[in-house]
Amino acid sequence: MLGARGLVVLLAVLALAPLVLPPFFLQLLTEIAIIGLFATSFNLLMGYGGMVSFGHAAYFALGAYAAALLVRKGGVPMLLALPVAPLVAAVGALAFGFFIVRLSHTYFAMLSLAFGQIVYTVIFKWKALTGGDDGLLDVWPPSYLKSPAAYYYFALAVVGLALWALAAIVDSPFGYALKAVRENPRRARYIGVNVRRHQLLAFVISGLFSGLAGGLFAFYNGSVFPDFAYFTKSFEPLVVALLGGVQAFGGPLVGAFAFKVLEWLISRQWPVYWPLFLGSVVILVIVVLPQGFVGLFGRRPWARSAGSS
Amino acid sequence: MGAVGGVELVLQTQALSKSFGGVQAVNGVDLAVPAGDLRAIIGPNGAGKTTFFNLVTGDIAHDSGRVFLQGREVSGLPPHELCRRGLGRTFQITSIFRRLSALENVQTALLSHHRRHFNVLRPARRLYREEALGLLERVGLAAQAAKPSGIMSHGDQRRLEMAIALAGAPRVLLLDEPTAGMAPRERHELMRLVAEIARETGLTVVFTEHDMDVVFATARRITVLHQGSVLAEGAPADVRANLEVQRVYLGQPATAGR
Amino acid sequence: MDLITQLFPWITNGPLITVQVMSGLSVGMFLFLVSVGMSLIFGVTRIVNLAHGSFYMVGAYLMVSLVEVLPDRPWAFWVALLVAPLGVAALGGVIEVGLLRLIYLRDPLMQLILTFGLILVISTLVLLAWGPDNKSVSRPEALAGSVSIVGQPFPSYYLLVLGLAPVVAVALWLIFYRTRWGMLIRAATVDREMLGALGVNVALLYTQVFVFGSWLAGLGGALAAPTVAVALGMDGDVLTTAFVVVVIGGLGSFAGTFISALLVGLLQSFGILIFPAVSIVLLFAIMAVVLIVRPWGLLGRPEA
Repeated sequence: MLGARGLVVLLAVLALAPLVLPPFFLQLLTEIAIIGLFATSFNLLMGYGGMVSFGHAAYFALGAYAAALLVRKGGVPMLLALPVAPLVAAVGALAFGFFIVRLSHTYFAMLSLAFGQIVYTVIFKWKALTGGDDGLLDVWPPSYLKSPAAYYYFALAVVGLALWALAAIVDSPFGYALKAVRENPRRARYIGVNVRRHQLLAFVISGLFSGLAGGLFAFYNGSVFPDFAYFTKSFEPLVVALLGGVQAFGGPLVGAFAFKVLEWLISRQWPVYWPLFLGSVVILVIVVLPQGFVGLFGRRPWARSAGSS
Repeated sequence: MGAVGGVELVLQTQALSKSFGGVQAVNGVDLAVPAGDLRAIIGPNGAGKTTFFNLVTGDIAHDSGRVFLQGREVSGLPPHELCRRGLGRTFQITSIFRRLSALENVQTALLSHHRRHFNVLRPARRLYREEALGLLERVGLAAQAAKPSGIMSHGDQRRLEMAIALAGAPRVLLLDEPTAGMAPRERHELMRLVAEIARETGLTVVFTEHDMDVVFATARRITVLHQGSVLAEGAPADVRANLEVQRVYLGQPATAGR
Repeated sequence: MDLITQLFPWITNGPLITVQVMSGLSVGMFLFLVSVGMSLIFGVTRIVNLAHGSFYMVGAYLMVSLVEVLPDRPWAFWVALLVAPLGVAALGGVIEVGLLRLIYLRDPLMQLILTFGLILVISTLVLLAWGPDNKSVSRPEALAGSVSIVGQPFPSYYLLVLGLAPVVAVALWLIFYRTRWGMLIRAATVDREMLGALGVNVALLYTQVFVFGSWLAGLGGALAAPTVAVALGMDGDVLTTAFVVVVIGGLGSFAGTFISALLVGLLQSFGILIFPAVSIVLLFAIMAVVLIVRPWGLLGRPEA
């Protein structure tokens, strides 16, 4: 999207930001990076895989809680706890995804929503382990990463590496086959691709990086709460990806930037109006997109995907 | 079909049957396709040709009967398994990856054929590029390699689908109405290409077709289906002369020299 | 047998079980009212209306306002109960005509997301109109107390639900199976295109169905108002439960929703006795199992 030169410029700007921007904006950028990673990994499924999950917050939350629990209850240092986050999320994605990919379209979305709510409810109710409604507090990075600027660089580095990995995946043979599955599952079968297995793998990869985003967010936020897994949270990566464009790899990142900046602008003046604004934008985007998902996925609106034979 | 001596049967079905809610679509079809055959499966509309194909390729579950590929039973295996065992197929309605370029279409097929499609480490852009271009060349699409396949002409899309199917290095290729929607001259060109490729690579081809000119110009043997059963089978001349076949198609025996 | 009585000491407590069953049935009936609208809308328009919970919430809030505005007389409650759902129905009509008509041909997932956008919009509008504080509606005097059922106290107001819901269910059944309009609706759930080809104004039918479904949601909310805290966030809670009910019963199946609602109601009622912490997870787990094993629910129709 940007080209090599544009990328270098962007990186330079980001690297120099702490010298110019006050801490608040560094924190905003950190959040943008984290949400951007979450949305990009979500888009691996949606834009590249043609699967829309309504319960992705579950993997974000699994990552966040895994990291938080290790630090709070296990006394594990952050740098060891953080890598566990994506692993736990990936296991969750494997367990749930196994069932979810057997369905298609609306039922896929509904089952993913159901599993998301299960995760939420378990976190909420299992007070002894997760602190329930009170959440887990004091989930801080070590002192040398605690300042806004320091964590900003750290998050940027981790997100940068993750995005680089995701970009490689998208352009890899795996990515090609995934796009083929999205375009025409039947034809994909007839070139030898086990569609269900491929979709499951994509689901797991997506869950993994969502969990990483969750882990990063836990330490950024200093605390984790059950509503990290609530279904409204699951719509965030969806809206962000839609905003920025699901067709391009960098789309969700652009969407994350726009989303967070708008949220900041509107919430500071009229906090009450943010959900109204967000909902209206979602509605507008959907009504205005010329063919809705059809244009994005090349699928006729009521054609059933051959994905569940 | 009589004994086939030492000739390998690339595709064989035994008593393959399927009914849909009381309608017997395919009724105990025995088919034996030897290696190198160019077999046309014809029959009036509703004869069960496409259903038969779908049974063979595992798209629909069969009620009874068996399917053998290169001597090994493959009844009921899912399509991706059959592909790995040497079966390729094209569809009545062209089935390609529309938003990928022609080259990417074929490359993806090659990647899967070589079992590299789980590889997340390397950029796929360069992999099997030469091979893919070669296949596109073979079907006459080399100039359109970079074109998004969705905007190619209908005939070119058909050729692309052929290239995709060939990428899997199949032993037997099933073509479902390969010339549907094409002008007569295009049809002959396409089937001539198919026959050429089959000759070069020893590929066995089974195809359904409505255009009798194309059938008689291309096929080595013809199987006639009628109401789900095999009505006649044999060399084109024999089938053409078969009174039953004429009656089914024309309603009465044709006068000689028509 | 001893083990069972130890684990579940209430199991030999006949009266307690009776009350729990009645309570479970009340909850179930109530869930039916709330969920059948969602099932109906999906059955005909194929849209899963995520904003259904929001309609329920608006019904409850309208109930609050109407009771406040009307004079403090015994009939005020009943008038409010009558009018509040109509308000929600009107809202549903506006949304259907103004918005949903634009997207009927879209991918169902897009429609789902759009109704999610509606949740956000409606909840903010409710906040703006009624403020952030919890509201409440008192029960009508006639139903304010409790009655004694086999020696156990049982809130009188629940009797209203226990009585009203079956009436509504029967009325719905009569409408669907004994009127021409109902027949059109059932036909639409099977084959919309054919119906259009037969000259039926399908667009109008859609609007009618959506309005009717919204009315049902509003009725559910209005009925619920005296029993729960009328607050923001009630849309999310009811949505997830209604969703579970509808999926288990089968989207688009009237009878399925009824049975499923009763089952879920009883499960919730007894679940609290058996596994208080797990009952909700159990619900979602059942929903997940249904989606895995039989996605179209108990009595729904497989997407043919």
